[in-house]
Amino acid sequence: MTGYVCKYTPNLIIESFGDRTLRIEPEVSSCEIADGLTHPNMCSYARLVLEECLGKHIDKIVLVNCCDAIRRLYDILKAEPSVKFIHIVDLPRKRDVIDRIRFKNEIIRLIESYQKSFDVNFSAEALRNLLNSSVSTTKKEYGDINIAIIGGRSRRSLEKMIEEFGGNVIYNLTCTGTVPPFRPVGSLFDPVEAYADILLDSYPCMRMDDIDERLDIIEEDKRIDGVIYHTVKFCDLYSYEYAMIRDRIRVPILKLETDYTDNSEGQVRTRVQAFIESLKRDSNKRMVTVTGRKDIVIGIDSGSTSTSAVIIDSNKSILGYSIVPTGAKSIESAEKALEIALKSAGISKDDASLIVATGYGRVSIPFANLEVTEITCHARGAFFLDNSVRTIIDIGGQDSKVIRIDENGNVIDFIMNDKCSAGTGRFLENMSRVLDIPVDRMGEESLKWKEDIEISSMCTVFAESEVITLIAKNKEKSDIIHALNKSITRRVASLIEKVGGVKNYMMTGGVAKNTGVVRCLEEKIGEKITVPKEPQIVGSLGAALSGLEKLSDKIDF
Amino acid sequence: MDRIIRAYSRLIESNLDRPELVKSLIRFGLEVGKVWVDHFNRNGIPPSLRYLNSICFQFILEPLRHPENSGFVNLLAPAEILHSMDIYPMFIEAYSSFVSGFYCEDIFIDRAESRGLSGTLCSYHKTFLGSLEYSVLPRLKFAVTSSILCDGNSNTFKYISKSYKIPYYIVDVPYEYSEEAVRYVTSQLREMISMIESATGRRFDIDRLREVIRTENETRGYQRLCIERLKDHSMPNTLTFEMYKLFVTHPEMGRKETLEFFKLLSEDVLKYPDGGYRIFWVHILPYYLYPVQKHLNFNDEFKLIGSDLNFDYLEDLDEKRPLEAIARKLILNVNNGDFRRKIENIKRLVTDLRIDGVIHFCQWGCRQSFGGVMLLKRELEKLNIPFLIIDGDGVDRRNSPEGQINTRLSAFLEMLTGRGKR
Ligand code: SF4
Ligand code: SF4
Ligand code: SF4
Repeated sequence: MTGYVCKYTPNLIIESFGDRTLRIEPEVSSCEIADGLTHPNMCSYARLVLEECLGKHIDKIVLVNCCDAIRRLYDILKAEPSVKFIHIVDLPRKRDVIDRIRFKNEIIRLIESYQKSFDVNFSAEALRNLLNSSVSTTKKEYGDINIAIIGGRSRRSLEKMIEEFGGNVIYNLTCTGTVPPFRPVGSLFDPVEAYADILLDSYPCMRMDDIDERLDIIEEDKRIDGVIYHTVKFCDLYSYEYAMIRDRIRVPILKLETDYTDNSEGQVRTRVQAFIESLKRDSNKRMVTVTGRKDIVIGIDSGSTSTSAVIIDSNKSILGYSIVPTGAKSIESAEKALEIALKSAGISKDDASLIVATGYGRVSIPFANLEVTEITCHARGAFFLDNSVRTIIDIGGQDSKVIRIDENGNVIDFIMNDKCSAGTGRFLENMSRVLDIPVDRMGEESLKWKEDIEISSMCTVFAESEVITLIAKNKEKSDIIHALNKSITRRVASLIEKVGGVKNYMMTGGVAKNTGVVRCLEEKIGEKITVPKEPQIVGSLGAALSGLEKLSDKIDF
Repeated sequence: MDRIIRAYSRLIESNLDRPELVKSLIRFGLEVGKVWVDHFNRNGIPPSLRYLNSICFQFILEPLRHPENSGFVNLLAPAEILHSMDIYPMFIEAYSSFVSGFYCEDIFIDRAESRGLSGTLCSYHKTFLGSLEYSVLPRLKFAVTSSILCDGNSNTFKYISKSYKIPYYIVDVPYEYSEEAVRYVTSQLREMISMIESATGRRFDIDRLREVIRTENETRGYQRLCIERLKDHSMPNTLTFEMYKLFVTHPEMGRKETLEFFKLLSEDVLKYPDGGYRIFWVHILPYYLYPVQKHLNFNDEFKLIGSDLNFDYLEDLDEKRPLEAIARKLILNVNNGDFRRKIENIKRLVTDLRIDGVIHFCQWGCRQSFGGVMLLKRELEKLNIPFLIIDGDGVDRRNSPEGQINTRLSAFLEMLTGRGKR
């Protein structure tokens, strides 16, 4: 078995020798071996491939001279004694006649190197047969919500996930999706030369010189409803394209960045689901069983640091609500929040027609009849509280997000910062410990600042050491907190800029209670930001409102 | 001085909505910088380095003064061809470093990131692209790059070409050397030349290129002489000078000024005896980082002998067949192809120059260099050479944790003193 990673790999050459080939899709989620052999900031995919090859004893590998990461992967694997066969195919960047000849010679080099290593003979006929049996004519059918995945490589599970939420993947134009356009190769033609042409005619990836063709498909196919742009963490090749095209694509686009492991699965699910929800707008066809007697809906927002519940009736009046800290088990906190809210509304759980869950923990609340993502819910809740709002900034415990809505309250774009805790409530909490001041007093304290100091690092770990240095220098607490607020603000402001935030602004989530942060952010973006009286219940309120919409729209049930 | 520069940086920041003004501010700042290095700032600096300081300001200013007659290049673009046509190269890594000298890199980097460019992209590229997004970068006539060294190049150049609607050319350099590969690159160089001709309206003349190559060969002779003399001498040095040398060993190679510099340098080397611990640097240098400056700038105990990027190709070119010679130079550059080539080059330099310790700087986002850092470490261990890895950023101050870098570097130097000289 020979492993490979790129769609430009002439893997049929290897198969023509009677060997089998396997496109490496790493399943490991940690990189113990790889960590000792390379730098942690290598692209996560290349590290995982290294781990997979050495950990699972894939000892024959053919790589393509794709990017810096793969080139170094080759160097590292080549130095490993356990690897029996490792070859790098030098893929040209252009597709002129001289490039085609060069690529054909590259394939011949691969043939020679395989022959030499395993003492076998190449058969042109065997290759011709393989090429001819790869010709395929089936095309994918269109569905209700047609999604194109573009960008760098993506895991197979992404396609499955999209389909699970009701999307139809009509194109997968990533490194892992496209198949070269196989054509029949008649007996008069040299199969190696034909194969070189076929491979070079693949849908060009970002490594190629002429990339204009990449967008043509997306621009020409008017039946595409949305684009998911996927990139791998520490892979920069594709971010260039995203920056170049994001304004050109006429359909909504969701940018995903993952580390190619299961670790971020939860976040990815939320974002993909929210994206497809926003594409469907008002056609959520999920079946929900309605139980209660009255038209009462409960929304529960199970966040990473706090859980809230809101109860509303059919007139959208709030009957009761609660906010509790999220404990180790999100279900217990959800039960507790529900109990307190029911008590404050003076009703019992059976009175409710529908319980809608949102937030990180929404999937693990068994008594909810419906789940909606926090993106949709924050949009609903904020728009209900103030219909002049167009941009919502939600800074939660573990992530921060910025959501853009239109004049009808529909989500038109959103972005989440989920890579690290910089710019989130958790960041402030950590710092409050270092500074020895309760979190809820930080806002007020920071308003007393006098000296304008900078904390340059946005990473929690580095920022913490900067704070410690500042304390050692006897800087005032208020000045340090003010500097921290500015650092959070920088992060959030860049998110706002990324989604093209417009006024009016509303801030939700726990951090909205921190006047210091709000003030700094207002200064940074030069706009006023409204904060609702209870910023922490906006998500659960939105969940309840989404439920109410479902109730009124009976055909959906 | 620092205060003035910071104030200047604030002035630039507050005028970003007026790109033409910012463009002039940047140029003016550099013009003043040049006057400063030419007339003041001369205490105890050897003549060759003073000269280097001055010509580097000249090199960065030329394309700003004459945008109609300049093109964008990267470190490993075949700039000889530009010189033979009297076209000024703007070397993008240097542009970013100078911008960071104004303390402005963060605003440009943030701008690039907010356009969707990856936070993990190397900040030499991000600073440059951010300036492009703010339109404070002059619009030069064309952009040329080679595919060697890092992925950023081809994409950054495509990006410039698309935003500024200027022609661009990438010389795709094959992974391995062969006669076929030389022909392949040569034919691309010809295509590139006709692109430049039509973009600038200037004519290429092969005899002019031969002249440039003659100067280059003479310069290489002096460069090799410097290396020879460095074996039992040392030179005062700083991180900044070592970075400046990238100008002369790469895009400005083949110019008279560069020849003059290496001549002066080869004379200066003889004035300074050997002594102290000899440090060799791998990859770019974070010129602004105080903890590193403190230990290595003009230091008698720890001497910064050189850095690998300045020694990536030292051979003469065949002036009879200049295009083929440039093609060969690109393919055989130690940064092209297998990482072993780079390792072997470093091993040779470290042995020849009797180096006591090697420091590898892992530039944030530079996968081509840090991807192989453990391979290099293993090989140097076999030679019993102490090796230190520092993570940081040569442009973006926010990515360089000073405290941590200071601790690591101090401990490393203490360790060297404990071991004694080789
Ligand atoms: S970016 Fe291109 S060369 Fe690299 S793996 Fe993907 S398809 Fe292959
Ligand atoms: S994900 Fe990006 S950096 Fe990683 S191997 Fe693929 S193209 Fe290279
Ligand atoms: S530091 Fe690395 S990634 Fe950045 S420009 Fe230089 S070689 Fe490229």
